[in-house]
Amino acid sequence: MTGGVRWILGMAAAAVAVSSWHEPRAGEPVRAEEEAFRAAVSRVAGAVVRIEPPAVTTAVIAAEAGAAAGPSSGVVVDPAGLILTTDFAVPADVRETVVVLPDGRRVAARPLGRDTSRGLVLLETAPIPGAPPLEAVPRTSLEPGQWTIAVGRGWAAADPGVSVGILSAIDRAWGLAVQTDAAVSPMNYGGPLVDIAGRVIGVIAPLPAEPARMMRGTELYDAGIGFAVPLEDVLGCLPRLRRGEELRPGVLGVGYESRDPINGEPVVASVRQGSPAARAGLRPGDRITSIDRRAVRRVADARHALAPRHAGDTITIAVARGDGEARVTVTSTTTLVAALPPWRRAILGAILADRDAAEDTTPAGPGIEWVLPGGPAEAAGIAAGATVVAVVSAGSGERVATPTASAVAGVLAGLEPGDPVRLHLETAGGESVADVRLADMIRTVPAEGPLAATTAIDANADAARVVRVKAVDLVEAPVAILPAGTSPAPVLIWCGPPRGTVDESDAAVWKAAAATTGVIVLLPGSSTPREWKQDDVDTVIRGLQAVAGDRAVDPARVAVAGQGAGGGFAWLVAAALGDACAGVAAGDADMPTRVSFDEAQPGDGKWFLFGDERAAAAHDARGRLERAGHAVGTLPVAAGAGPPAAVLCRWASLLGLL
Amino acid sequence: MTRRVALAVFVATTMVELVRAEASPQTVAAAAARSVVKIYGAGGVRGLEAYQSGVIMSPDGRIVTAMSTVLDSEGIDCVLDDGRRFEAKLVGVDPRRELAILSIAAADLPVLATASVRATAGTRVFAVSNLFGVAVGDERASVQRGVVAAVVPLEARRGAADAPYRGDAYVLDFTTNNPGSPGGALVDGQGRLIGVIGKELRATANGIWLNYAMPIDEVLRGCEAIDAGIASLPATAEAPAFDVRRLGIVLVPNLLDRTPPFVEAIAPGSAAARAGLEVDDLIVAVGPRAVGTRVGVEKEVGAIREGDPVRLALIRDGVVVECDLGPRPATETTP
Repeated sequence: MTGGVRWILGMAAAAVAVSSWHEPRAGEPVRAEEEAFRAAVSRVAGAVVRIEPPAVTTAVIAAEAGAAAGPSSGVVVDPAGLILTTDFAVPADVRETVVVLPDGRRVAARPLGRDTSRGLVLLETAPIPGAPPLEAVPRTSLEPGQWTIAVGRGWAAADPGVSVGILSAIDRAWGLAVQTDAAVSPMNYGGPLVDIAGRVIGVIAPLPAEPARMMRGTELYDAGIGFAVPLEDVLGCLPRLRRGEELRPGVLGVGYESRDPINGEPVVASVRQGSPAARAGLRPGDRITSIDRRAVRRVADARHALAPRHAGDTITIAVARGDGEARVTVTSTTTLVAALPPWRRAILGAILADRDAAEDTTPAGPGIEWVLPGGPAEAAGIAAGATVVAVVSAGSGERVATPTASAVAGVLAGLEPGDPVRLHLETAGGESVADVRLADMIRTVPAEGPLAATTAIDANADAARVVRVKAVDLVEAPVAILPAGTSPAPVLIWCGPPRGTVDESDAAVWKAAAATTGVIVLLPGSSTPREWKQDDVDTVIRGLQAVAGDRAVDPARVAVAGQGAGGGFAWLVAAALGDACAGVAAGDADMPTRVSFDEAQPGDGKWFLFGDERAAAAHDARGRLERAGHAVGTLPVAAGAGPPAAVLCRWASLLGLL
Repeated sequence: MTRRVALAVFVATTMVELVRAEASPQTVAAAAARSVVKIYGAGGVRGLEAYQSGVIMSPDGRIVTAMSTVLDSEGIDCVLDDGRRFEAKLVGVDPRRELAILSIAAADLPVLATASVRATAGTRVFAVSNLFGVAVGDERASVQRGVVAAVVPLEARRGAADAPYRGDAYVLDFTTNNPGSPGGALVDGQGRLIGVIGKELRATANGIWLNYAMPIDEVLRGCEAIDAGIASLPATAEAPAFDVRRLGIVLVPNLLDRTPPFVEAIAPGSAAARAGLEVDDLIVAVGPRAVGTRVGVEKEVGAIREGDPVRLALIRDGVVVECDLGPRPATETTP
């Protein structure tokens, strides 16, 4: 008996009785679904094309194209020869690509326009007769739970690939996309996501799930999460894409008082000069109430309303201005732009501190704690001790009440070095005004700085305590030097040469400096005695969080400094802190190439100190940081000397200079 | 041989149990799970699992599964849906399809009907396997649902090595590339066995993980080959790269792994010259297959059989041009 016959007999034995073949009635739901899926796919199949991997891109030539490059999909939006696809299939440097049409013809196509917010590309090619018109599902009718079918031709040009799922969410990725659990991968990026009737919900795109700080979109293909840009939104942009425009995210130019990007209140802290917000007449203190008639209650709502809008789009923005009886709603329109010129930090040359509401029954404004010698405020005759009540900027002539130091910062953020402002002050001698011409942020650490509040220094008490920071999961508990006092203090993280656990005696050189400047100094240890490791960065940040849990910390004045091997590590810590870090002094350690910092903006202008300005690497890094609008200075490293504790603490205390 | 497979498929298509049963997802799942076994063998080292799945193919205990290190064991255990445990004998393997047949000393085992026609993209399917080894003893194998996403020739790799099977595969729109899944059953909405879940592989084209099953007709062909003692790896895994200068095409120098295949020169009077190729043309496809690199062109032309037509698609001045270069010459000329 041959093997083949044996298999046949095995199978035959299994078939106990052969009744006439019929459709199993109770199978209808499964079959009906299957038929509906197929019908939906066949309705759009004639509009789905395959995009072949780009042959000529500079990325390919540089051998940078990763494993993720490969066939992908697109959808015909106009039989005249317009195809939508993603920038995964057609990266920015591709001039020409090959498209396989549903009838198998291979044609060349060139990118016409791009939507960089959504990662979509409009391709132009020869007419595609027979491509069916797409019916867009109205966004308002979408409901999570409904069927979604992802269609693409990445697997095979001849036969469209199908994956089925449901709509997981609408309004994802800041309103740019809907979410599905249908299997989405490079194979169907650019293809349509259709409903059970074959109407097009959107174009499948590898958007990152950014709010959750997740990976790049292309890494999410196997995770039960996929995105599609609603076709309705795309069709709205189509005329501009057809004209060959590059649509970029629209920028408004406001900063918010809250540092919480999600739940913070949408109160404007700063308005960038010449920005769309400035043209709309927005002012610090305004509370945004709606954008394009969409209610705004949190910072996240504003972002949600703005993210889908492009540079060049005109928006209507409503704000509430003033308090109580004087509260008015101001509505204006403005046109968003693609980018603002780099922000330049303009200063008065003073350290301001909020008054404790309890000690002063008339909290008219922040007090001037210290005045920079030779700075604009001093030149205008302003002395420490005065209270800033209001600021009038010469440009608008508007008087803005400044109840807090951050309100003053907000007004300054909208101005540039050289701009004149008038400060309304209250001093022991009564009310006065001072006209100040703002200056550039200082670059080098001045010889003197603000001193800790003298009331805190008591001959019998320790002006600064040395503690071992305790926290759950801290691999290497750092040592902290905590100056006396309760007001929010600057923090200096000092990364010395790696040597394992930090001894409390290491704090000795810092004690005096911390006490006089009121700066908290954090001395982290390294997990191995001879080197700083990437994992130590996390330990340092946890140590900082532990300190902040114990003692009020000024989040706008957190600095990282280091020396030798600790300098390189300081760069890594600073990069990990991101906008939570206001200054970096890494000695003569080169800035690692993988470290980069965002462009300066109101509330996030950093101050960098380089040890050696002549080193070529330092020269490049300085240039980059300066162009990004940050203050860059020099702090020479003395060979063989210990940490320059006094200068560094002074520097940290001056990071909040206004 | 082909006729026998067709006959086997036809005879087994109608099983009384399933025709009478209501083919709801519940009954389909239950019937399929009864024919799926849990296989335990070697492994546990270097992160390799010591378990996978198998499908009962005959009432007297023949089981098809994936060929893997799990089977490199003195004792292979098969645990049936009803919890009975049998020591299995390895009957044989098909290294090309990466299938194996096991045999257990049992009788009257439940066998699934097999589908007589290929599934297509969009077919509703259920996958039944012991993914992640979560089912033990008489616990039923796990059931997943989805559709066939595409039916395409498998072009996949495991690590750096190409997978030997290059025939059609059912790509699935749900995750089956899990430990324990290989060897599981893929059934359609009527409960018919349409495929066997393959081993964990990545797509060659873009490196994404593949969820796929081998169509049942290929599985049966593999079983036949094992029984006939003719299962083996294909004689030549890969055709040698073809030097396209033999067609009269000089490509730009291969400076990098991914040098785009631009035509640098054409030999006068050559096949390329007759077909109308021009300098600066960019080759984008060989036959139906897209190419993006010079190496890709050499490989794809090499894959064309001697004497078969060489058709190239080129981009010239923004337009795709197709050229027929005539029959492919021999790889080497005999002196």
